[in-house]
Parts: sequence; C-alpha cells; structure tokens
Amino acid sequence: MQVAIASGKGGVGKSTITASLLYLLKDRYKLIAVDADAEAPNLGLLLGVEEWEEEREHFGAKVARINPESCVRCGICYERCPYECIYMDDEGNYVVNELTCEGCNVCGLVCPVPGTITLEQVRSGVIRRATTKYGFPIISAQLDVGKPESGKLVTEEKEWAKKLMDELNLEHMIVDSAAGIGCQVIASLGGADVAILIAEPTPASLSDVQRAYKVVQHFREPAYLIINKADLNPGFTKLGEWAEAEGIPVIGEVPYDRAIPKSMAMLKPVVEVFPESPASKALKEIADVIAEEILG
Amino acid sequence: MQIAVSGGKGGTGKSTVAINLAVELAKRFKLVLADLDVEAPNDHLLLGVDLANEEPVNQFMPRFDYSKCTKCRKCAEVCEEHAIITLKDGTPFLMPTLCSGCRACEIVCPVPGAILEGSRLIGHTYVTETHYGFTLVTGKLREGEERSMPLVVEAKRRARNLDYELMMVDTAAGTGNTVSKAIEGSELLIAVTEPTPLGIHDTELILQLGRLMNLKTWVVVNRADLGDVGRVREIAGRYGAEIVAEIPYSESIVKSYVSGRPIVLEEVPEAEIFRELAEKVANFLGGDE
Repeated sequence: MQVAIASGKGGVGKSTITASLLYLLKDRYKLIAVDADAEAPNLGLLLGVEEWEEEREHFGAKVARINPESCVRCGICYERCPYECIYMDDEGNYVVNELTCEGCNVCGLVCPVPGTITLEQVRSGVIRRATTKYGFPIISAQLDVGKPESGKLVTEEKEWAKKLMDELNLEHMIVDSAAGIGCQVIASLGGADVAILIAEPTPASLSDVQRAYKVVQHFREPAYLIINKADLNPGFTKLGEWAEAEGIPVIGEVPYDRAIPKSMAMLKPVVEVFPESPASKALKEIADVIAEEILG
Repeated sequence: MQIAVSGGKGGTGKSTVAINLAVELAKRFKLVLADLDVEAPNDHLLLGVDLANEEPVNQFMPRFDYSKCTKCRKCAEVCEEHAIITLKDGTPFLMPTLCSGCRACEIVCPVPGAILEGSRLIGHTYVTETHYGFTLVTGKLREGEERSMPLVVEAKRRARNLDYELMMVDTAAGTGNTVSKAIEGSELLIAVTEPTPLGIHDTELILQLGRLMNLKTWVVVNRADLGDVGRVREIAGRYGAEIVAEIPYSESIVKSYVSGRPIVLEEVPEAEIFRELAEKVANFLGGDE
C-alpha cells in the first residue's frame, strides 16, 4: 500500500510525525520511506541517515541557451518567452536566465536564425537511496538550486521505490510530501492509496490543508487528519469542524511538546528518544490506529 | 525597488517576517507586498484581511480544428511537456493537465487556424488594501494545477503595475525555479531560518540561490533560542551573509499569528526586533541619504 502524508503548509510537523510513525511501524510491517520534498528534503536527516548508498543524477530539466555569435539581436525571443526569462545583459546580448527557465523552447522556435537558441538538457538534481539504521530503506531527492521539474524528481523517486518494494518484498510505501499543492505534491499523491493530512490549529494551516485536501479529492483517495500542536490555540475549533463537515476522520491529536524540537536537534524520532513524552504517547496511539484502520 | 523574503524550508517564519516588515516599512515607503507563495498564500490571513479584486489567470491551451489539421504531428513533436499525444494516423489530442500554455505547438503549426485559442483557469490574483497603509498582491494557484510558475509571473506582473516605491516579495518554500522567479529583480534577499539542524540544512540552499543570483543576502534567525545560532552564523559567514536579527520563540508571536494582527503593532519586546530590522532595511535601501 502507498500512503502519502501531506499538509499544504510547511513547518506544521509533517516530517517529524512521519519519522516517528515510520519508527513505530517498522517492526510490524516491511516499509519503505520516500522523502518527496525534493526542494527541502529532511526526512533522511531526521532518520539519522549520514551517508547515501546509491546516488543517481537526474537530467530531466532542459534550459535554453542563446549563442551570442549568431544572435542578430532581434528580440523576438525576449518578447515571446512566456515566463519573462530572457533579458539583455550589459553588453547588449540576449541571455536566458537559467534559474527561471522552464525549458519550453518557445524562444528556440521563434528565433529566426537556425541554431542560435538551443535547448540543452541539464542536471535537475539527484535521487538517493540509503538504508536507515532502523532497517528500512529510504529514497530521497535533492533538486538543484533554481531548477524546474521537482515533480518529475518525485515521480522518479516513487518509481525507484516501487522497484525496491518488488525486489525486497516490501509491503508499504510511506511518502512524505512537500509543502504546497503544486507538482511535487501532485506527484506525491498520485497513485497513493490513502492520504494522511497533517495540520495545526491556525488559520494559515487550515487554509493550506483545505487546499491540499482538494488535490486529494482529485485523486479520490480516502483521507485522514492528524492535528499537530493541538493545544497551541485552544479557541480555534475550525480545523476539527472542517474535518467533521468533510467527513475526514481525525486519527489523533499531538500536543505541543518541547520534546519534539529537542529530538529534532538530536536528529532522532521523538518516539525513540523521549518515548514517555506527551507527544510520543499520542504518536503511539496514532500508529496503532494507522495499523488497524489503514495498513491492516 | 524590490526586496525578497525567502527561507528554503517551509514553516520557518517567512510570512511573519514579511508582514511585520511590511507594516513597519510602509511608514517610510509607498509599499506593495507580493505574496508569491502561490501554492499556500497566507499573508492575508496573518494581516487579517479578506482577499479583494479577484482576477482570473487563464492559461493558453490549444484547441484543434480537425477540419484543418493535416496530422503532421509537429505540435506533438515540439511539446516539451508531452501534453499532446497523437493517434496512429497523426490526429493530435491534448492532455490538459500537462499543458504549460507555452504556445510552442501554435508556433510550429503550419496550417493557419488549425490550432485555435483555448484557455484554462489556473488560478487567481488579488489586490487587497490592508489596514496598515500598504497594498497586498496575492497569487493563488487553483487546486489540482501543477505549475506555479505562471501564477508567480502573473502576480508579480500585477504588483509591478501598481504605483509603489518598494515592492516586497514573500516567496514559497524551497529553492526551485519558481522561488528564483519570485526573488528575481530584488536588491536584497532576506533569508529566514531557524537554528535547528533541518533549518540549517535548508539555509545553505537558499544562500546558494542568493549567491547564484548575485544578491546581497541577510539572514534572520527565527526561534533563535531553540537551537544553535553559532552554526547558522558559520554557514552564513561562508556565503558572506550577515545575521541581521534573532527572534526568540515567543507565545506573543504565536498569538499574533493566529489572531491576524501583526506583532509589530503591539508594545512587546519582539516588536522592537522587527522595528530595528525595518530600520536596517530602510537604511540599506536609502543608501547614504
């Protein structure tokens, strides 16, 4: 089974909770973890991965380049670039900003001088594999700074994870997705059997998780909600009310707990280093619910 | 003039820094704040305002006039997103969610009128007057749409068309090309970070982006008492970036975050940190004046 964990908003505790759930479920199931936040991957760090055993470069991205020798400076590329990525440098040459180019090749198609603008395949990042010290494998990715196609990196990660699942006879893939609702999140949720949403009781987190849930609905996946930092904001009841109105089962509430930042500083799941803390107790109950109701 | 607030990882406090700085800097500059975190825009919630002046962002999508199409397949061949598939006989079909709206197909189509103008709604932009003397521009990607780049471009364009002296942009998490698009054109990049091992890891990435873009970069350490600021200083130093503010973990900030009233308006010690930071930014922008 493939379980995607999403939140819409960054910083609500997605990776922290995912790391703890993986730790709690590792003895009951044969798992693989996928860190699908290719722009800010953190799950490997939280699981104490120090060295990657295998690394594959990914060349999915393309960027346009303009040859100043043959360029006639007509400016058509500059006018037609849909994302305003072409500018004129101090010497009067048209240049593509590779940090914002989407690789659509419109500039190359409109350029009147053949061969002046070429679309070049560039490295978009790396995908990595390691075995965590807890015994299960993890696949992670790192998008190169300023590159497009983070969604394609996530799709590649999941394909690699699926192969490993077959080879190693694993049962469940747990995907920790990125913040937002864009290509990385869509790639994380696509093909998942179940989505677990994580939110905290703040207006910003509610707004973002509602948006993430709409993406989940596109895929018609059953969704569950975990409320993190549940006691952060006692007057705020809208998160629970929304979940109830949408029929999203709340599978647990994790209290705000100083043990969590402490465990993060130690780069270990909180349930491993502070098993008696209030957050860890809540996470244990949540892991039991996930085992009973979702993973079976 | 333009400055950017970014931070690599999500949840480090980018929006908190952006809105509080905006409230303070609006006293000195005619200011526009552009919320370019189009996948999860939140600045309006933190400012306690309802989004206004909605405008749709429509993206070009080809429609085929099959009575004119010669089934030459050129449109499918140039589509970098593989959004156009062809049947065995060459009849093209569009898979709308893959289409980026770049018009490459339209450009290469040899038959006038075979590709018609279609469009798809991919999100909205908003222009909202805040209670604090500045204008907020927000880009909001529609749920289910994959590409945030067109929304970032469109929201920034709408912001640029307003009358302002200083535009502040608040970016999404991460360091992909939509973040660089948001930052592009800035004179100063303020990287918000937290001193946890994860925050430190992601700080390095945003500092790399700042360096690649040749930008003057400052670091603001949020929740500074929850970790090792020394490590942040070490990395910042390596990239020639200065730590300009340290904000402690604070219940007051959490409360202001939840209530939609910026902390800088309250008489608390945390407010002073933002005022000093705003002063510093104003001095930087004002040069020797």
